[in-house]
Amino acid sequence: MKGPLTGVRGIVITQAWAGAFCTEMLGLLGADIIQIEVRKRPDSWRGDYHAPLAKMLHEVATAEHPWNCNALYNSVNLNKRCITLDLQTLEGLEIFKRLLPFADVVAENFSPRVLGNLGIGYEVMKAINPGVILCSLSAYGRGGPWENVPGIGGTIEPTSGMSALLGYEEGPPMNSGQMYPDAVAGLHALSGILTALHYRNRTGHGQYIDLSMQEANLVQIGDAALQYRMTGAVRGRMGNRHHTFAPHGIFPCTGTDRWVALACESEAQWEAFCVAAGHAEWRSDDRFAMNGLRKANEHTLEATIGAWTRGSERDELVARLRAAGVIVAPVLTAPEVAADARFRERGVVVEVAHDETGKWPQVANPLRFSRTTATEVRPAPLLGQHTAEVLSELLGIGQEDYDRLVAAGISGMGPPE
Amino acid sequence: MLADFGATVVMVEPPGGSPVRVLAPFSPEGESIPAAYVLANKQSVVLNVEDEAERALVRGLIGRADVLVSSCRPSDLARLGLGYEELANPALIMVHVTPFGVTGELAEAPGNDLAVAALSGWASINGLADREPLKPSGWQASYCAGTAAYAAVMAALHHRDLHPGEGQELDVAEVDVMAAAFAPAMLGAMYSGENRGRRRELDMTGGPVEVADGYFALTISRAHFWRDAMNLLGLTDLAEDPRWEPSYYRAAHKDEYVQRVETAMREWKKMDLFEELAARRVVAGPVLNMDDLAANAHLRGRKFWAKPTEAQSSVDYPGPSFRMSETPWELRTGAPPPGGNS
Repeated sequence: MKGPLTGVRGIVITQAWAGAFCTEMLGLLGADIIQIEVRKRPDSWRGDYHAPLAKMLHEVATAEHPWNCNALYNSVNLNKRCITLDLQTLEGLEIFKRLLPFADVVAENFSPRVLGNLGIGYEVMKAINPGVILCSLSAYGRGGPWENVPGIGGTIEPTSGMSALLGYEEGPPMNSGQMYPDAVAGLHALSGILTALHYRNRTGHGQYIDLSMQEANLVQIGDAALQYRMTGAVRGRMGNRHHTFAPHGIFPCTGTDRWVALACESEAQWEAFCVAAGHAEWRSDDRFAMNGLRKANEHTLEATIGAWTRGSERDELVARLRAAGVIVAPVLTAPEVAADARFRERGVVVEVAHDETGKWPQVANPLRFSRTTATEVRPAPLLGQHTAEVLSELLGIGQEDYDRLVAAGISGMGPPE
Repeated sequence: MLADFGATVVMVEPPGGSPVRVLAPFSPEGESIPAAYVLANKQSVVLNVEDEAERALVRGLIGRADVLVSSCRPSDLARLGLGYEELANPALIMVHVTPFGVTGELAEAPGNDLAVAALSGWASINGLADREPLKPSGWQASYCAGTAAYAAVMAALHHRDLHPGEGQELDVAEVDVMAAAFAPAMLGAMYSGENRGRRRELDMTGGPVEVADGYFALTISRAHFWRDAMNLLGLTDLAEDPRWEPSYYRAAHKDEYVQRVETAMREWKKMDLFEELAARRVVAGPVLNMDDLAANAHLRGRKFWAKPTEAQSSVDYPGPSFRMSETPWELRTGAPPPGGNS
């Protein structure tokens, strides 16, 4: 079905997660996303050219090239076409410039100096395509003393303030399980691009969007930043706790690594929880009778609840507490998310058939539109899969010329000769 | 975000105020700080939707809106006649932002960031293997879903720009957005056949480790990062051995170097190590706290912090998450008092 961005085209030089996720979302919403990649320096999320294949892919006959079989890359590049172009060659750069007039949106996540060094900064792009929207995602943005300092999710997490807030109450700062700052930056870049598109519809003007991953992530803990400004207090790590409500935590259930998240955000929920747990006496316990008391006695409260959950089966407990109107959820593991009926019904998790790795469940578009439903999902492209197709379609470059570009190492599929 | 980029945003609050206004922590004046942050730039109107006459006013306001944002349960909207169909305005863009979406068995279930972290898979990979799983810090699911909902509204506006009169109903579930952020971990588990779970220990390969005056992340990806970092730390044998160049090899044999590298790192102060590595173009990150960030020269150089332009306030608020050359973000006012614009 046609998404809201049908008819929009992005020519993008995005890689790894933040940029790739941003432009994947454009593609999932219906835009034609043509992603430019470079054979000499493949996307770090395609991995090393000689990396071993993941275990389950050993049995898949078509899983041949490690760079087309990386879960990281394939998870965040749905609904794109991939062309290879070496932008450090004159001819590669020339072809890029000839593609520019076909772009509504250009996105890139190089270090800030790269585009300028290549001679394709915003002013150059604008001269070629006056309405172009260029979005740059970089570690620290344009300008400022750290402009050219490189960064990735794993280092933006600490420098944005995120790591200092993530961890157990008495423990050291931590990074997330999967470089979370990239996902945050990708969502904000998507927002910027779509804002610019709406503005361009009304005025005809394109614009330049400068996203600093550090700032985008700091904004998502902006209440902690504002807390410091207003009170001088430096927020620390709170584990799973909440500033206001108790209980608010993750508790063990029977079995190995089975957990339940539960919280009460009102006295009514607490009452319902105690009754559903079969511990009506907790309601009249002096330490737990009101939220303020529960917050003050949170360690004891958590130990008490944990002792009860430990003897309970996770899903049975979730069903019981959910029926009682308590905030509750099982901690799903990755295979459980992949199999989850709700995600399947919503079309958030779908089976995607990839040309090399075969058919696997993947998370696709999280957004639901009633009129422009955006349900088409295409697998991540192979490296260079669509070069001949795109160059022919947009520029009329024929097979012979494409073969010459491949022979010259400017385009092609897979590692350089 | 709608207000920050120029829209007039009217927030309809119930008598007693929005639930966000009771969230701790509080300013010395007793104002909820989360509320001060997320209600900035808005206008506030207090109306009781349970009262028929006041509900008519709400409907009147909605009749003049391009976009309606709701966090209500679908049954409440239906009961009040405020569902998308009942509003009968095909040009209206209505976006629901709720924990679990407005369809399916969880549509009516109460939820929050904690429950979303659990159900989206995020908690299963956060924290330590021998401890309870961790939710992301603060209100990450709320911020991510809010941002995604903003993007969805912009996409719907784009469609309406090209097809005048064609509004639509958007359904953004916090758990779906967090699942999208979980996509790499999920497909990784599929391809590997293993549920990766949480880290067994905290070491330099997974995040910050201790240095002389705090914590520091040296998460190495490219081969030259490794070479240059090891040389700087005086570990020349590690730097020169080509076996360590590919990241998959480093990951598989980390026991052979982690302790040596971490010992060498403990000789350094976090900002000194960062500056030396940055000069070598090696990705690295000191753990910065909110006091560090308030004083951070780079953020000041970028003019990140912002005081409300139309309010008597000396407080520096966090600035924009992205900079737009033609339509810049602007902080005009802080949070309005409840009903301040009735």
